[in-house]
Amino acid sequence: MPDLSVEQFQRLSQLIYQKLGLSFDEKKIYFLKTRVAKRMATLSMADTREYLFMLGYADPQGLEMQALANLVTTNETYMFREYDQLQAFANHCLPEVLSAKQARGERKLRIWCAGCSSGEEAYTLAMILQEVFPQAQSWDCEIVATDIDENMLRKVAAARYGCRSVNEVPDQYREKYLIEDEDEWLVRRRTAALVQTRHLNLHDRMAMRAMRGFDFIFCRNVLIYFDDLSRKAVVDHFYNALNPGGYIFLGHSESIGRVTTAFKLKRFENHLVYVKE
Amino acid sequence: MSSLQEFMEKLECPDEAERTYAAEDIGYLNAPEGVPPLLERLGKEPSRAVRDAIFQALIRIEADAAIEGSIRLLGNDDPQIRNQAVEVLRLKGAASIPFLSTVMRDDDKDLRKLVLDVLSGVQTSGADAIYEAALSDPDRNVVITAVENLGRTQAKQFRSRIENLLLACSHPMLDGACLEALAGIGNEQSLAAIRRRFPELAALPDFFLVSCLKAVGALGTDREFKEVAALLTVRGSHLRPAILSALIAIHQRHPAKSHGEDLLPALQAMADDGDPPLCRYQAVRALGFLSSRGDIYSFLVACLSSPERLVRLGAIESLRATERPGVESVLAAHALKETDEEVLQALSS
Repeated sequence: MPDLSVEQFQRLSQLIYQKLGLSFDEKKIYFLKTRVAKRMATLSMADTREYLFMLGYADPQGLEMQALANLVTTNETYMFREYDQLQAFANHCLPEVLSAKQARGERKLRIWCAGCSSGEEAYTLAMILQEVFPQAQSWDCEIVATDIDENMLRKVAAARYGCRSVNEVPDQYREKYLIEDEDEWLVRRRTAALVQTRHLNLHDRMAMRAMRGFDFIFCRNVLIYFDDLSRKAVVDHFYNALNPGGYIFLGHSESIGRVTTAFKLKRFENHLVYVKE
Repeated sequence: MSSLQEFMEKLECPDEAERTYAAEDIGYLNAPEGVPPLLERLGKEPSRAVRDAIFQALIRIEADAAIEGSIRLLGNDDPQIRNQAVEVLRLKGAASIPFLSTVMRDDDKDLRKLVLDVLSGVQTSGADAIYEAALSDPDRNVVITAVENLGRTQAKQFRSRIENLLLACSHPMLDGACLEALAGIGNEQSLAAIRRRFPELAALPDFFLVSCLKAVGALGTDREFKEVAALLTVRGSHLRPAILSALIAIHQRHPAKSHGEDLLPALQAMADDGDPPLCRYQAVRALGFLSSRGDIYSFLVACLSSPERLVRLGAIESLRATERPGVESVLAAHALKETDEEVLQALSS
């Protein structure tokens, strides 16, 4: 396996942060070394310096960075993933938006799960919404789960998950919102009814323009697979899709501040979130 | 009404989203005539989202007009606009070089520095004349930025110019930049220049030592190994990662069985309780130089039981490098009690 010196690791983690917004601390030196070794083997490269140089200065479209991104990220998705961020949503952002709406006499709440994959996140949000805001049933609440992959959307619609997907669901939620069915778990109908699926390609700018009037957008661990220009374009569309005062959530290690200056950074206790003013 | 005209009118629309879409549409139209209205709007646009969309449009428009417009923005009073213009020009790559060359003759040193900022993220052919001018620039910041860029983009054709700048020793920041650049593009002559400038590593202040160790690690030989090794016991613990990196780098290019004999007690102590964990990892890797010795081999095997994951990972790498018979069965035995997923991956690879 080609060696990765400490300086090279620092350079690499800096590059990955700049381009993908993912941060890797020094304890991840071995992890990154093995991923770089895989990419170098694929490219028939022997010198780590050569690879890092290519990644930093000879990859204008960001294609190699995307290939590396596929190796350093996991596609694994499960309910209640990145719990801290969900706490910020449940404890701060959601009550704030709801009370502002109540003050205005509005009774409509819309959440967009962009790149929803098999739907675990959308149903997590549905559970949190019902838990934090029991009146949700009497409001016009909608969680729009979009994905480019029709197969994934069919999985969302089925609302049926294996044990891995529900492992992190807190017991109180599991009892209230899921039903065990042999080796699988079904989302209860009342909760599942909050989620609507829609086919959407995030690169389709005309279709993206039709997405308007959302109070929250969740697009976690999706944009890291996009090149710089596409990522910026998508985030611009998210901005327009949000209502003023609406929040956007990317993956906890992704930084929206690197992509656009349009959102305002807001702090709730230890959580940093981005809001459209 | 043509599409462009329609989009231009929408740029003045009170709705923020409509203005964003108009800017985006002008970008996709890829027409040079779209640049002036975009720049005009930028001057009065209050929304950051729309401003971002205007810059995205300038990136998409392939005509020289987008480059010329972005060049003009380098002189804008708003630093955010200047930075975004730098980003646009950077993405334009080689097409922007002739325009940047002209700016390099401007009296404003800040503009000349911004030209180098544009070049900083890419390896751009045809930029040599800009760098020639930058290395002789009267402003030190311009020279330092040029040296940093040349090191990063591995512009070996400028190696001797950088060596000369180092020998002229005009400013500590410039010295640091030259050392870092030579670490990437230097050769034996560069090492000689570094040693002329800094004959005694032990006498260097911390600031220079870190940069110097990078260069010496990349270019040094057996002679430097001993000198660097001697630093490990006499310099502060915060310098250990830099010292160990240099030792490992030299050893990989010039392996010698005796490397590290004098360092054994220090390395073992660091592997046991060095701080930060990365330093412990490096110490274990450095101990791997001596793994042909029975006591060190046993020490590395013992490291497999360290509570620190990076120490275990370093030990696996060092043990594998010994190619001793029986290493794999030692590692396989350890795998049975290992619980960390990443360490298990390392054991099975």
